[in-house]
Amino acid sequence: MSTEAVRIEGVSKTFDPDVRALVDIDLTVEDGEFLVIIGLSGSGKSTLLRCINRLIDPTAGRIWLFGEEMTGAQGARLRRLRTQIGMIFQQFNLVKRHTVLTNVLSGSLGRSSLLGTLLLRYSEEEVRQARAALERVDLGGRGRSRADRLSGGQQQRVAVARALMQRPRLILADEPVASLDPALRHSVMRHIESLNRDEGMTVLCTLHDVDLVRRYATRLVALRDGRLVYEGSPDDFDNDTFRDIYGTDAEPATGQLLGAAGAAGEETA
Amino acid sequence: MTRGYARLKALVVDWVLVSLFLLMVEFLVISFSGRRGPTGLLVSPEETLDLLHYAWIGIAALVLTLGWQLARGERGMSPGWSAVFGEEGDEAIPWTHTLRGWFTALLIELTFLTGWLITEVQLVTFLTQFNKATDIVRGLVNPSGEVLHQGLVLLVQTIFLAFMATAFAIPVAFALSFFAARNLTRGSGLARLMYTVVRALMNITRSVEPLVWALIFISWVGIGPFAGVLALWVHSVAALVKLYSEQIESIDHGPVEAITATGASTLQVLRYGVVPQVIPPFLSFTIYRWDINVRMSTIIGFVGGGGIGYILKPRVDLGQWGEVGTLVILIAITVWAMDIISAKIRERIV
Repeated sequence: MSTEAVRIEGVSKTFDPDVRALVDIDLTVEDGEFLVIIGLSGSGKSTLLRCINRLIDPTAGRIWLFGEEMTGAQGARLRRLRTQIGMIFQQFNLVKRHTVLTNVLSGSLGRSSLLGTLLLRYSEEEVRQARAALERVDLGGRGRSRADRLSGGQQQRVAVARALMQRPRLILADEPVASLDPALRHSVMRHIESLNRDEGMTVLCTLHDVDLVRRYATRLVALRDGRLVYEGSPDDFDNDTFRDIYGTDAEPATGQLLGAAGAAGEETA
Repeated sequence: MTRGYARLKALVVDWVLVSLFLLMVEFLVISFSGRRGPTGLLVSPEETLDLLHYAWIGIAALVLTLGWQLARGERGMSPGWSAVFGEEGDEAIPWTHTLRGWFTALLIELTFLTGWLITEVQLVTFLTQFNKATDIVRGLVNPSGEVLHQGLVLLVQTIFLAFMATAFAIPVAFALSFFAARNLTRGSGLARLMYTVVRALMNITRSVEPLVWALIFISWVGIGPFAGVLALWVHSVAALVKLYSEQIESIDHGPVEAITATGASTLQVLRYGVVPQVIPPFLSFTIYRWDINVRMSTIIGFVGGGGIGYILKPRVDLGQWGEVGTLVILIAITVWAMDIISAKIRERIV
């Protein structure tokens, strides 16, 4: 049994007309890791995550998911591979007008019957699983609320429950706490950590906040201008390496400050 | 390659503008020079149009345009050049200091003067000959009760005619609008082809007036309200596809990404990522469309498409202004009521 969750070889992405978002990335993610990617807004973090589940098609290079090639997969095969990858977004990306429960249930779209899902009908077993997922993220009583009635932190927990419902082997988390109040960040990060530790899902997460990186990452890589510039353990991640990656103007003093920098970069992230 | 294409575009825009400028100058010169036609009278605007030297003007305009584009260092940019390439330099030069500013100002003046002549504006007649229309106005303010009952009955038909046209339009427009939305049709060559075909068909359909559609459907299904329903249906589909698809293009892409990432199929992505976001505005547009259809269905009867227009037309022709007045008031009340109701409902939805 291979222990590679994701294998990325020579991946580049060039956007029109001439923006090189990713340049020749080689990266292997081990099964069970909590790998954090850091880097400035626009350094290519989001693009890299989206190349893995093919929301964005890389211009060059190849990507494997648990030994199966992701690049080049089409149609049903691509959809089947995508069911293996849960994704959590900075802006939560819930279906705002649907209920919380329906949002969680949508995690199972890839394996449910087409007609049923189009009519928003799910089996009792699926509804039970969705309720359990909501319990897990401490939102047991909120299943019938409309998603946009919830606070940001609660919405992101619904997104975690959606990922839980999907039962993937890999989680891609794109700035999962950058839009949240700093006080709520740990509440969401702990749930993502639980997906990693208790469910055995591999997590690939982009973050801005040094404190969070040190607290949650098992390994750390950094991107700058679309290139992989650093790889190491979060314990070795000190202020000097931080300045190397973010540039000398950056200020690693407190997590709050960096969090603010992250929030300012939301539009471009 | 693209630079050359942009230059060509700038050249064409300028050439068209300069040609129009010269044509209108010549038109006005001929009109005001008092040239006389074969009958000895001053030539009419139509005859003046016949006298213009289109080919020579076109060539002259081309020469001027080329000259302007070559000399744009000293004379400032031409309109087409600035439209295609944008402004150069940071200084805001007042329009009175540029050739382009004067050219544009004069072009607008010329257009207004030419328009005045071509549409044969007669201010004096307008201001002094009101008495010829007093009969009609008197009839309108003294409605006759004779057609009230028949008018009310046909008014009901009119409202239902508009409703049925809208109802039939909804499913067709809904299905087509997904193909007419740019953001959903980038995927494959086939999708892009569908986009182009649907857009083109809808634009053609929309540019044909409902009255013309009514004539077509009257020959098809015979005189009567159903022909009117079909005419308004076709026009509504085209209009709704445009409104719907623009709404689809402006959705938040986030949920689409999230649903795609779960491994959902295209239909599921549409159902979960797109449809919930567009339902409220779709409803709003649809009610607005019904409102417009009520207004249109009052005149669709002029050509035999059913509704209240069917009895309005002969009374206009016969000059029974009292009865016309009754019908016009009925129409006005209905349109006014529909307007208020549809505004209220749309307010609640969005």
